[in-house]
Amino acid sequence: MSNNEYVVQMKGITKVYPNGVAANQGVDFNVKKGEIHALMGENGAGKSTLMKMLFGLEQPTEGEIIINGEKVSLSSPMVAISKGIGMVHQHFMLVPSLTVAENMVLGMEPKKGMFIDYKKAVEITEEYAKKYNLHVDANAKIIDIPVGMKQKVEILKALVRGAKILILDEPTAVLTTQETAELFKELINLKEQGYTIIFISHKLKEIKQITDRLTIMRGGKSMGVYETADISEQGISRLMVGRDVILTVEKEKAQPTDVVLKVRDLEYTDSWNRKMLDKLSFSVRKGEILGIAGVEGNGQRELVEMLFNLNVPDAGTVTVNGQNILGVPQRKIREMGVSLIPEDRMVYGIASSGTIEENLMSDRFDKKKYNKGMLFDMNAMHEESDRLIDDYLVLCKSRKQEVGMLSGGNIQKVVVAREFSSDPILIIADQPTRGIDVGATEFIRKKLVELSREGAAVLLVSADLNEVMELSDSLVVFYNGKIAAYFEDTSMLNDEIMGEYMLGLKKQTEEEVRRVCHE
Amino acid sequence: MNNRRMLMFEIIRGAAAILVALIVAMIFIFICSDQPFEALRYMLVSPLVSNGSISMNSIYTIFAAMTPIIFTGLGVCVMFSSNQFNLGGEGCVMLGGFIAALVGIYCSTGTYLDMVIAVLIASIVCAVVLYIPAVLKVKLGASEMVSSLMINYIIMYVVLHFLNNVFADGSKGSVQTFPFAETARIPQLVAGGSKLTWGFILALIFTVLVALFMYRTRWGYSIRMIGINQNFAKYSGMKVGAVIILSQIIGGFLSGMGGALEVLGRYEVFLWRDLPGYGWTGVTVAILAKNNPIFIPIAAFFISYLNRGCTLMATYSDVPAEMVDIIQAVIFLFFAAEKFLAKYRQKLVVAGAKEELSQKNAAAAEGGQK
Ligand SMILES: Nc1ncnc2c1ncn2[C@@H]1O[C@H](COP(=O)(O)OP(=O)(O)OP(=O)(O)O)[C@@H](O)[C@H]1O
Ligand SMILES: [Mg+2]
Repeated sequence: MSNNEYVVQMKGITKVYPNGVAANQGVDFNVKKGEIHALMGENGAGKSTLMKMLFGLEQPTEGEIIINGEKVSLSSPMVAISKGIGMVHQHFMLVPSLTVAENMVLGMEPKKGMFIDYKKAVEITEEYAKKYNLHVDANAKIIDIPVGMKQKVEILKALVRGAKILILDEPTAVLTTQETAELFKELINLKEQGYTIIFISHKLKEIKQITDRLTIMRGGKSMGVYETADISEQGISRLMVGRDVILTVEKEKAQPTDVVLKVRDLEYTDSWNRKMLDKLSFSVRKGEILGIAGVEGNGQRELVEMLFNLNVPDAGTVTVNGQNILGVPQRKIREMGVSLIPEDRMVYGIASSGTIEENLMSDRFDKKKYNKGMLFDMNAMHEESDRLIDDYLVLCKSRKQEVGMLSGGNIQKVVVAREFSSDPILIIADQPTRGIDVGATEFIRKKLVELSREGAAVLLVSADLNEVMELSDSLVVFYNGKIAAYFEDTSMLNDEIMGEYMLGLKKQTEEEVRRVCHE
Repeated sequence: MNNRRMLMFEIIRGAAAILVALIVAMIFIFICSDQPFEALRYMLVSPLVSNGSISMNSIYTIFAAMTPIIFTGLGVCVMFSSNQFNLGGEGCVMLGGFIAALVGIYCSTGTYLDMVIAVLIASIVCAVVLYIPAVLKVKLGASEMVSSLMINYIIMYVVLHFLNNVFADGSKGSVQTFPFAETARIPQLVAGGSKLTWGFILALIFTVLVALFMYRTRWGYSIRMIGINQNFAKYSGMKVGAVIILSQIIGGFLSGMGGALEVLGRYEVFLWRDLPGYGWTGVTVAILAKNNPIFIPIAAFFISYLNRGCTLMATYSDVPAEMVDIIQAVIFLFFAAEKFLAKYRQKLVVAGAKEELSQKNAAAAEGGQK
């Protein structure tokens, strides 16, 4: 009856969410045993939804799911886990106040009498971390670790629970090139051991590199299954978006003028006594995009926090157009024309049960333009939000929809739309295209270049090495809270050169680095 | 989805919830009463009907009972919206009533300005009182829930102290103040013993004002966004601390106003010797109304009706008072249950979505033909 070649068969799946969005419409999805299968599609195509049903988080409205030839009803993740399914979610599902080890064993804690055997939990964590070569700090609290490590914790969590079929929803969105390469090695290793992996990503290169087959979704429907080897990157994106996508951004040479952001001698030691920022100095000029490359955890996150008063440095100065911004309320910082796309959109970027409109207005609601006396000018607000939704291609039913119910990529677009549209003179973009599909990535990159050419200063932090090299006019490499190298011109760079600096194998002289201060 | 369909659903859901709750209540009543139908009649019908016909007076009585809990409900709604679980509304009702009484007794100008002044002063004093837990929270991180609960009891004992030792009318057998000036009393809206005053109209006006405030002003917007995600609010540039304080000041103001209107409308002297309970009921009302100001009067009506019915049942039938409390809790539970009929709702939604899709497909096909 059922084809034994497949470990997962989803037949005629339809999913209608309580708000009436039909996220999947009659989708067929089959995965062979021991393959790495990519699930691709634009933001909002319904990938996460389909996977959530496979993991028992959502129930299909119609259709059936067959695991290992047996028809199953996955009423909860518990059931799915017992069938050997594990999922790493697009947005982290970790308890921020607990340690890595505690998260790892959550719900299956090793006991010593009545109490949780914490030592054992750490042991388990370290054993798995070693076995799968995914390094994590077992005793650190989730709230304190960088996103890259959170991602690894999530993967380990699934493995600890005995998953044989692993669903990875955009696992590489937060990883650096090196980390991704490492992860891929492990995935291939897992595959050889007989694990089946379903892999969601917007990065075509990765898909080509690692997957065996791929299913493409569009508008809640399946557009077909392909052997990865038989289809080109162009072919994939054409099927996904319905047109050709050009990811290389045409940009004229930057004509930087005055210094806008001036960071001098910034120092910060974190609560474990690690020196995260070490006498850091650099400047960003009007009209240029300065990229920050580096393996995650080398001070990028701390730097961005300081620039928006979300953390306080031990020493140093930061000015924007000559005005201090350290310790200044965010309202003032924004009034000076600084805007920030935060690293983790769910923490700072949005109020998830608010509407799209409310989220788009959060930095400008008290401007004169949107108020008539005491009351809001609702028409002005509606107009602005509809315009932003249109301009930034946010896929939604209306501006009144809850932001938290959008797909991951569309949430990111809401954040980007707000931050780009406030006439900023300085844009701090921390992973601006994280989780965004190829079409929208193309759009956002173009927009970023456009804004810089119109005179904004842009500080770009990205784990995606290609993105930093492609977009930046000049570039610094962070290593251990210091600038290891400064490249005034990015056109000559390649992965290899960058890699040496990123891993601390090479270092420029003080004088060479000092050039980035433009003094 | 289709809005009309959704509204229909909410109505059906409400009706079904009441029906199920009543069936459960009936089971209880049948167990413990010899005259179950009699008891049921007291609970369900008597709040509105007397002597076989709908009695306006009974309706007025319910409206009168709604007045203070609309105010406390609105106050709680504003505070909870900013994610501040301040329970000081209870104390504010008592304090507001007491202050208003004192102003009405000792500061009378002999004009109808009296009641305006009395109510305003009472409200402002209560706003200031709830400023305390708010500031403690913002500056020191002290839990507003704990400090506001303690403030309730401080208020109660301070009021009792002054009532007993300073402002008592010695000529009376029980502890009470001197009567308020005639001009400080809130005028009755209708004649008769219902005690329905202009305070009720004011409550409805404030419902609209608070709704406008929450959904159409920058302050209300900030309050709601802070309630959803404080990190987001801060990063967006909102004055988080100030807004948290503001929301509790408003909460205190509204609760105090409710207390003042109640005391000046229902009594001639101040004689409360305990916390009146309107503040707690306000929390229930706000939860039922899902923190949406517009639904507050509806929730208040529901609670008042239920209270009245249960009081009548406890007084006139053989159902013991404890059983009445249980029945009340059961009804409340069903009404508040979010997931009730969720399956049915999902069916409606799916039907709606399918319709929409087929329309779209049809439109697309048509477009293709042209
Ligand atoms: N909990 C929810 N409630 C209502 N609608 C939802 C919910 N989750 C997702 N949706 C809607 O379902 C559609 C598909 O979303 P889904 O998250 O599956 O997309 P996706 O393919 O994973 O996109 P992305 O690449 O952006 O992550 C979107 O239109 C989204 O708005
Ligand atoms: Mg997704």
